[in-house]
Amino acid sequence: MNKQLKKRYAADLRFRIYGMSAVAMSLLFLLLLFVSIIGKGYTAFQQTALLLDVYIDSETIDPEGTRDRAVLSSADFGAVIKQAMQKIFPEVSDRRDKRALYRLVSSGAEFKLRDQVLAHPEQIGKTLPIWVPADGDVDMLMKGSIARDASETDRPLKDKQIAWIDHLISEGRLKKQWNTTFFSAGDSRDPELAGIGGALAGSLLTLFVTLLLSFPIGVAAAVYLERFAPRNRWTDLIEVNINNLAAVPSIVFGLLGLAVFINLFGLPRSAPIVGGLVLSLMTLPTIIIAGRASLKSVPPSIYEAALAIGASQMQAVMHHVLPMAMPGIMTGTIIGMARALGETAPLLMIGMVAFIVDIPGGIFDSSTVLPVQIFLWADSPERGFMERTAAAIMVLLLFLIVMNATAVILRKRFEGHR
Amino acid sequence: MKKEEHIMGKIEPAIPFPNSRFVHQQTLKRGRAIRSDQIAGQEIQETVGEIRLDDPRLSCRDVSVFYGDKQALRGINLDIGRHEVFAMIGPSGCGKSTFLRCFNRMNDTISNCRVTGTIMMDGRDINHNETDPVSLRVRVGMVFQKPNPFPKSIWENVAFGPRIHHLAKTKEGLHEIVVKSLQQAGLWDEVKDRLHQAGLGLSGGQQQRLCIARTIAIHPEVILMDEPCSALDPIATGKIEELINTLRKDYTICIVTHSMQQASRISDRTAYFHLGNLVEVGETKKIFINPLHPLTEDYITGRLG
Repeated sequence: MNKQLKKRYAADLRFRIYGMSAVAMSLLFLLLLFVSIIGKGYTAFQQTALLLDVYIDSETIDPEGTRDRAVLSSADFGAVIKQAMQKIFPEVSDRRDKRALYRLVSSGAEFKLRDQVLAHPEQIGKTLPIWVPADGDVDMLMKGSIARDASETDRPLKDKQIAWIDHLISEGRLKKQWNTTFFSAGDSRDPELAGIGGALAGSLLTLFVTLLLSFPIGVAAAVYLERFAPRNRWTDLIEVNINNLAAVPSIVFGLLGLAVFINLFGLPRSAPIVGGLVLSLMTLPTIIIAGRASLKSVPPSIYEAALAIGASQMQAVMHHVLPMAMPGIMTGTIIGMARALGETAPLLMIGMVAFIVDIPGGIFDSSTVLPVQIFLWADSPERGFMERTAAAIMVLLLFLIVMNATAVILRKRFEGHR
Repeated sequence: MKKEEHIMGKIEPAIPFPNSRFVHQQTLKRGRAIRSDQIAGQEIQETVGEIRLDDPRLSCRDVSVFYGDKQALRGINLDIGRHEVFAMIGPSGCGKSTFLRCFNRMNDTISNCRVTGTIMMDGRDINHNETDPVSLRVRVGMVFQKPNPFPKSIWENVAFGPRIHHLAKTKEGLHEIVVKSLQQAGLWDEVKDRLHQAGLGLSGGQQQRLCIARTIAIHPEVILMDEPCSALDPIATGKIEELINTLRKDYTICIVTHSMQQASRISDRTAYFHLGNLVEVGETKKIFINPLHPLTEDYITGRLG
């Protein structure tokens, strides 16, 4: 008897140890994931900028002196930037050396200068100190991602360029700054100009469409199936199909979206509206299943109580059953939306995997979404995109956390009414 | 009547009779050898006692209820008078709650439930297809076994009915109804300071009185009570019984109860149900002092059920 008892306790302890080690293991992996992503990505939130004293030569950018916006916006600001660089390094005279020198400045510098001049045309003819983005390779060198001691042929920057960079650093003209471009810009071929602004807007718009469609339709379907529909072969068939739809691989929904929404209805490709439609199809079964389970768990006595004082079926459901089921429905919606946020495969099918520089302004504009942007960057060869990939993953995770937190707060609010 | 008996007699053997063995043994103990199928098939057939009343509030004729293929109530004939407290007693599963739920068509919510026969109320058949269950439930309120206030404030609980039926035009009018209903339910003094707190925060007895207040807020004519005190302690039960006593002058009250003492304390007339049959109806005093049917006697003396 005593022996048996000891054995039972030992088994008990063993079981607890298994459980704890499983939890510890998953926590460890989570930690590993975070450390690796944050370790790779945190540098992307800083960006190397170059201070140039630009003499805005009216001869170069506005020879006729009209100050016309059209003339200014098509003016050759690149030349102005080059003049400024030349002024810092007057000794560089060889053509090839000059080209290497100019490469230290990002191609985005002239656009920044142009915007500055367009906003303040009175600065033409003056010398203007301005921080412009440095080239991606300079940025990488500043962040230590390019080894200085590697042989010259193995690194993208030549010895001469490194010497110039050192000179710029000693003059205080190169500095790492908070990277606003990363959050405001769209995609770009140059890592130093690429940002997740476009993908973030695309994700928001897509999820907005998804929520707008799948939540009301899902809740309505759940309420109808659970409370109003007769139990017969048809509703059984519908139920089986909804359960099956929840398990359909997401790429199939993408193909459906391509065939129906784009080819049949003629909706624009790569647009959040189509992405939202496809993701709603994917999210609906989750919301319906969760909604039905949650409606089922509302005690029938509440429904009966409402009916017994003469509420119609709809009043009983809308005033009492649905509010009580709402927290559960919200949980299902969060799960569905979180899945939709991270979904890539169906969006590839409807063309959201395009290289899109502009930030989408509406649901009919071309755009991409965060996970697809991550996929695109992970595919790019430039060193600068590596840290941006990790940073974009961080933003995606943050987006997810914010979304879930909002839903939890809403949930609490609903429960608070009890 | 004769023809119906014949039909029922034929149906009988096909239907399982769960308690038959028990009844059989009980009757044997009493020294009266009655075969169980006799009890089922013949003895219970005719209701003993006075089922008819002049000017009844509710008049049931040949009411049967089926759950799928199973018959839960067998041809009940019964009148319920105006301003009376009518008690229904009987062992569990005898169909008394099912019968009660016929009066406000709550059986409609059970998908495989079918009710036949007629239940007349003010010259209209409750059970008729054209009767609207929603407007019927305004006239026939119901209080359930377990207190089931809505998960909202006390005020909202009472105001819900009047609001959906537009009984008050202004918020002040609505509040007046709420106050009056709570007063009638004897709950006002206990909750007047916390009208906007959760109804679920009240004690069980208070919750049940809140449910009664909620019911009388829409001024029904009949109040159905399905074992309203079975989840309550004796003190709370006493309060509910007191309340029923004060409500009897304004409402017809049908109450299902497992407590025979309760039935004898509060009701004017009592009906005894057994296995889907109405065995005996009569004035409460008569039923409890001098039951006519042997099954009734067995039940009220505690030998059965």
